[in-house]
Amino acid sequence: MNPIALGALTLVIAPILGGLLMGLDRRITARLQNRLGPPILQPFYDVGKLMGKQPVACNSFQGVAASLYLMTSVLALLMFVLGQDLLVLLFVLALGAVMLILGGFSVKSPYSQLGSQREVLQMLAYEPLLVLMVVGVYLQTGSFSANSVLALDRPLLLTMPIFLVTQTLVIGIKLHKSPFDVSASHHAHQELVRGIYTEFSGLQLALIELAHFYELVLLLGFVWFLWHTNWLVGAALALAAYFSTILMDNVTARMTWRWLVSFMWTWGIGLAVANLAAIYFMLRVPR
Amino acid sequence: MGILGKARAKSPWILHFDAGACNGCDIEVIACLTPVYDVERFGMMNIGNPKHADILLVTGTCNLRNARVLKNLYAQMPEPKAVVAIGACALSGGVFHECYNVLGGVEGIIPVDVWVPGCAPKPEAIIEGAVMAVQRMQERASGKVQPSEDESEDEHA
Amino acid sequence: MGELAWLGRLNVGGLAGVLILAPVLTGLVVFLVRTKWSRKGIVTGTGWILSLGALALFGFGAVRRDTVSFMPPQIPGISWDAVVTGLDLLLIVGFVAIGFLLRRPIVAALAVLQAGLVLWVELSHSVRLEHPPLYVDWLAIIMVMIVSVIGSIVAVYGLPYMKEHEKHLGIPDTASKRPRFFLTILIFLGAMNGLVLSDNLLWLFFFWEVTTLCSFLLIRHDETADAEANAFRALWINMAGGVLFAGGLVVLSHAVGAVSIQRIVESRASVVTNPIALVGLGLLCVAGFTKAAQMPFHSWLLGAMVAPTPVSALLHSSTMVKAGVYLIARLAPAFHDTAMSDMIAVAGGFTFAAAALLAIGQTNAKKVLAYSTISNLGLIIACAGLNSPLSMAAAVMLIIFHAISKALLFMAAGVVEHGIWSRDIEDMQGLVSRMPLTTLTMVIGILSMLLPPFGVLIAKLAAIEASVRMPAALLLLVVGSTLTVMFWTKWTGRLLTADPSVVFPRIEHLHSMYFVPLLMLTIGALGFSLMVVPLLTQLIVPAVAQYYRSVQSDVTTLVQFDNVLGVPWALVFGVLALAVLWPLLYFRGPRTQRTGVYLCGEQVETAATTTFRTAAETAVPVTIRGHYFERAVGETVHARWMMTVSIAALVLMLGAAFLQR
Ligand code: SF4
Repeated sequence: MNPIALGALTLVIAPILGGLLMGLDRRITARLQNRLGPPILQPFYDVGKLMGKQPVACNSFQGVAASLYLMTSVLALLMFVLGQDLLVLLFVLALGAVMLILGGFSVKSPYSQLGSQREVLQMLAYEPLLVLMVVGVYLQTGSFSANSVLALDRPLLLTMPIFLVTQTLVIGIKLHKSPFDVSASHHAHQELVRGIYTEFSGLQLALIELAHFYELVLLLGFVWFLWHTNWLVGAALALAAYFSTILMDNVTARMTWRWLVSFMWTWGIGLAVANLAAIYFMLRVPR
Repeated sequence: MGILGKARAKSPWILHFDAGACNGCDIEVIACLTPVYDVERFGMMNIGNPKHADILLVTGTCNLRNARVLKNLYAQMPEPKAVVAIGACALSGGVFHECYNVLGGVEGIIPVDVWVPGCAPKPEAIIEGAVMAVQRMQERASGKVQPSEDESEDEHA
Repeated sequence: MGELAWLGRLNVGGLAGVLILAPVLTGLVVFLVRTKWSRKGIVTGTGWILSLGALALFGFGAVRRDTVSFMPPQIPGISWDAVVTGLDLLLIVGFVAIGFLLRRPIVAALAVLQAGLVLWVELSHSVRLEHPPLYVDWLAIIMVMIVSVIGSIVAVYGLPYMKEHEKHLGIPDTASKRPRFFLTILIFLGAMNGLVLSDNLLWLFFFWEVTTLCSFLLIRHDETADAEANAFRALWINMAGGVLFAGGLVVLSHAVGAVSIQRIVESRASVVTNPIALVGLGLLCVAGFTKAAQMPFHSWLLGAMVAPTPVSALLHSSTMVKAGVYLIARLAPAFHDTAMSDMIAVAGGFTFAAAALLAIGQTNAKKVLAYSTISNLGLIIACAGLNSPLSMAAAVMLIIFHAISKALLFMAAGVVEHGIWSRDIEDMQGLVSRMPLTTLTMVIGILSMLLPPFGVLIAKLAAIEASVRMPAALLLLVVGSTLTVMFWTKWTGRLLTADPSVVFPRIEHLHSMYFVPLLMLTIGALGFSLMVVPLLTQLIVPAVAQYYRSVQSDVTTLVQFDNVLGVPWALVFGVLALAVLWPLLYFRGPRTQRTGVYLCGEQVETAATTTFRTAAETAVPVTIRGHYFERAVGETVHARWMMTVSIAALVLMLGAAFLQR
């Protein structure tokens, strides 16, 4: 397909898909709590309402942070869809994450400061796993480009089974799901104030929510990659990963950041490295 | 009611402030979140942050100490917004009316849009009050009502 | 190119003479003519001479498009080799004298040891000296550009800085130590130029020791007890490195029979099968480790931060530490594809990750910068150890971008220090409201160290790609990059914590000799990142190709930057710039209301404030402090095992020389 058309299509479809999935999440969470839950379209209502609120800001950097966060999420997704370099993509995503953290830091508020401090740690917890997954891809395709995966004729899951687990954990951390929600909770009603998001309001918060839609699609896209040969199986894997994070969210409680970092740096990285080692061994990667 | 209005009606986020309640009203407010009443059906969420909130639910009486806090919280809510006073105490001071430290109800400290009487009001009444507040907010956003100077056409649930 | 052909006919020997000797001569003038105006004029003028000289050398290389070995200009009756040897011995005598004056016998002992080893090389007949001692290729040109341009910028910046510094210390103008200071700085720049242009390792060793002496004098400049102690540490560690260097020379001259880098690289086939020759190269690399402040030798660079900030800016960005990585990168083709090379990659990777970890726990801004330097040099050395065209391209890019960003950061930190008289990151909280301009340059400097679309990151990507064939190095690089993001982000967060009562911060007044260097480097950091594609294809790939031509014939195709280059960086820049600009306009508009922070409604009044009322209605300002995880990543917590591991890595590295592929 024409890359520009593909990009434009992604720009439109991704937020719709992401928003629907988020709505589904709210609904499922409610059902798991024996409630009826909001309509599936609720995330869109929320974003729409936030956009209509009076613009309020503590400083002018907050808006920059929110806008960069959205823009990098969009850019990263576009790079993914257009088959660009996955490693560059991850660091573009990291740029957005850092900007969000700085946005939280830019306000002299105890809540957002604490949230940002903890978001730094969340980033510390998931970042190496994302990079290691991409390295796993490189080991088998000899390239970091997303297109090279599509050129592969066997599903990646066969050689990278553990990355399904680590990627699920990463989605959990990225979406601020329990027990990984140390900097803020995904669902606002699960906490008193909203950690790193506390001081963003109105349009800024709407941009951040919108960025979450794009980001969710991107993260699920990474899972989909594990079985790219049949897109239905890939989608099923992605949904399964997503629903397991929702389940995890509902059956666990928030843990401390110490636990988060040490868990991800021992078990998370340990498992990922074990999988990579197996790939090295199996493929006898040439020196 | 355009798309924005619809979104606004469907996603009122609530800030609950307990001024000086006996906790009877608070229990009823929290009950609205439980599976029995589940206000999230209407997109309502209880969030503890004025910067994200659309509707302020106040329970209990006001005194000198908390009146300032109430004012601050109200000021930090971005427009459009609405205030619901819940329970006899929030309406007038209720059983605490004669206490030496009590200023009375919420009215007079911040403008109130909807009064929900009762001691304590039932969750159904509270939900209805919140829904009315959403209507108020809509009217205000569309410019029909000026930000809460006039008390003449206030509804009573 | 036609009009520029004259550049190719330049007398490169004379040019090298200017680049090396001009700063020394002007330095002497600055030292002797002690007026303020002459100093300003001469230092700035020397900066221009050096920059233009470097540019001319660049033009020479661009026209010639090849490497050139050359002799210095012939002067009848003078043998340059003898002159260099003589100066070297004079220098060593100087070191012995310093050792006696400071009552530090170890310095004298190390100096004597060096003298013995150097004489051994000189007097042994196995060494063929017919190869011209100087050499120019793209790598050397890039290094000369960095030293001459960034070094000059730092020197100019030092003019107002040292004035304020002495004023702060209460030193009267008559007793000013500035003439000596600038003399040392200028000699330093000349020596660095000599170092990167030398092909003869004996010459290189001489310049190497000159930089050691200059850094000692500069660190000691304030002559406080602290400065003395740290200068001594820098001196003995670097002199020990010098001993290793000379020892490596002895071994190499016997095993290979040459002290010319080009000769050694050309005879790679016999070098890699000869463990003794490899050990010689390994010793030179360990000497590079000491100069590049790699673990376990890193303590001298941390101590060096007691020096005035221009010294730090110079040591960390374009000179001194870069000499260490330059030597290793220069020698890398000679030990291409050996187990020792792999161990160098692991050792460098270890320093990269370990220093980044320790940086998290620091509140002293200069110390964070120092750890970041150590960490980045580790990355460069890891790239040199990975020893492939791709990794070497990454190394060269890192050398360039790190020099720009680090000079910028140190200079900004120096301006901040003279603005708030503190180096503590906690004191820099909310600096954006007090010194917005400096903060902006600082934030750009920081972001250019770790995020796309800046050059350091692109080099880091290449490094990760190159390390895939070596799992151990790969893991260290991944871990290290994550930790790097952490400490930089935390610091930037402190800077940006705005004071809510300041809506439009007042732009601070900066001395023009502060402002212009900062501006130049900021533009450099942004501009070079924007031009990363031409930079890579026009400059770095040819440099790497020249360098590996004795190892691999076709290098350009091996540098697989296609993926990274395929990203439309200009577009990315544009989109990101838009994303930065529109909110600035939108949220500044009259519609936007400024509010205070959320303090549970307890703030003193509703206006922008961070004071809240607590028990008994007392008003208390919000105090916010960064988190430094001292118990988890404090220096002392990890000191012992990091020392052990890094020493073990060095021992294994030398041991790996005996492993045949
Ligand atoms: S109205 Fe009744 S239930 Fe509510 S706070 Fe007052 S006394 Fe308690």
